Formats: sequence, structure tokens, C-alpha cells
Amino acid sequence: MSKTSNTIDLLGAGIRAEELRQKAIANNVANMGTVGYRRFDVKFEQLLAKAIDSKGRVDLAEIEPFLYQPRRGPVKANGNDVSLEEEVGAMVKNTLRHKAYLRILNKKYEQIERAISTSK
Amino acid sequence: MEVDNIFGAIDIAISGLRAQNKQMEVITSNIANSKTTDAGKGEPYRRLELKFKTEDDKISGVGLDKITADRSNFYRIYDPSNPAADEQGYVAMPNVSLIREMTNLNLATRAYQANAAIMRRYQQMVETALELLR
Repeated sequence: MSKTSNTIDLLGAGIRAEELRQKAIANNVANMGTVGYRRFDVKFEQLLAKAIDSKGRVDLAEIEPFLYQPRRGPVKANGNDVSLEEEVGAMVKNTLRHKAYLRILNKKYEQIERAISTSK
Repeated sequence: MEVDNIFGAIDIAISGLRAQNKQMEVITSNIANSKTTDAGKGEPYRRLELKFKTEDDKISGVGLDKITADRSNFYRIYDPSNPAADEQGYVAMPNVSLIREMTNLNLATRAYQANAAIMRRYQQMVETALELLR
């Protein structure tokens, strides 16, 4: 991807991060009873914010959402640190963010469409 | 736990849900052991109590402090046929009152529901804001 701070590209990157996070949450819930399993999360927003702060222009190719294990929640007796409440909350947040991104993307496309149709 | 983003309300509600979930675990342990006369240290099971804590100078969710044992006296019931009875025929029973535990269980359930309701309501609020983007 080229060097860009294009709104559509940024939103696309956000949506991809969300997709990955949804998978991580699904995996966490599926492994709620797995002995020794530590929950996964996705790091993306912080990286993006940092990149925007430092350069103003962002190379989205450099910032990839990646999976990591926070390893800070209280661990249950079987060495597992997944809590259903936390996963549900993460899912709610993820869904809302996803909705927001999609709405803005939609608005952006509407804008472009309007620009095209006025030239008719 | 520090909260500083737009999803702060959700984080706080989650901390409440987790706290009440733990509270329910403690109550379950108390009820399950309400007749346990031997808790390993030569005395009956002691009722456990979960303490919550928070940072008072900023908005933050609830955190778990620690689980402490209730130091109040054990109940003594007269049961000479019980192998654990002393010379007078009394048996020390755990200081668990089922009525109290059931009340606490109700409170924990209601608090859990309240936190879940807050989470749902906040979700609706954000969705209302997002409707403006249509």
C-alpha cells in the first residue's frame, strides 16, 4: 500500500483490525475451559495513533494489526485467564467500533457519489 | 484500573460484572461449606468475605481487594452422637448463616444485572450517536 493518510484506507485498516479482533475474541471464548490458555488481544489502534502523532503522514503498510497475549488478568486455578464478562465487553466495543467505521466509510462513498453525480 | 476513552463506561460495567461474579463464587463456597466441620486446620469452615476496592480520586471501575475470613464465633450445636462432638456433646459448626448468604446472593445477582443493564444502555447510546451518521 502506498504512503497515504487517505480516510478510506485508514477505515479499511481499522475494519481489518476489527475482523482480527473478532477472531481473537471467538478463540478466547472457545478456549474458556482450556487449561493454561491465556487470552489473545489485537494491538492496532495504539500503533496507529503513535504513527499519526510522530509523522502526520502514515504508511499503513508499516502498521499491521497483530495478535498478542496481555497476560495481566487474574489467572484461574487451571492457568486460564479468560473471563466471559471481559470477552463480551470486548465484543460490544468491537461491534460499536465496526459500526462507526462502516458508517463513516458509507458517508465517504456517498460524498464521492455526490461529487460524480453533480457533474452530470 | 484507569479509564480514559469513549468505551470507559463499558470497561467500568465489565469490572462490576467481574466483581459480582467473584462475589457469587465466594457466596457459593460459603453455602457449599455451611456444614463443613473440618476445614483442615482442626476447626470448622470459616465464612469468607470478598472485599472490593477502588481508587477514590478518579473514575475507575471496581477492583478486587482480597478475600478475608470472617472472624466471628462458630455456631455451637448440641449433637452428642457426632464424632466431632466435644465432652459436653457440642459440635462447632461453620459461622455461615444461610439466610445471610441467600440475601447476599440476591444482592450480587441484582448488581450483576444492573451492570449488564448499564452496558446494554451505553451500547444503545453509542448506537444513537452512530444513527446521526446515517
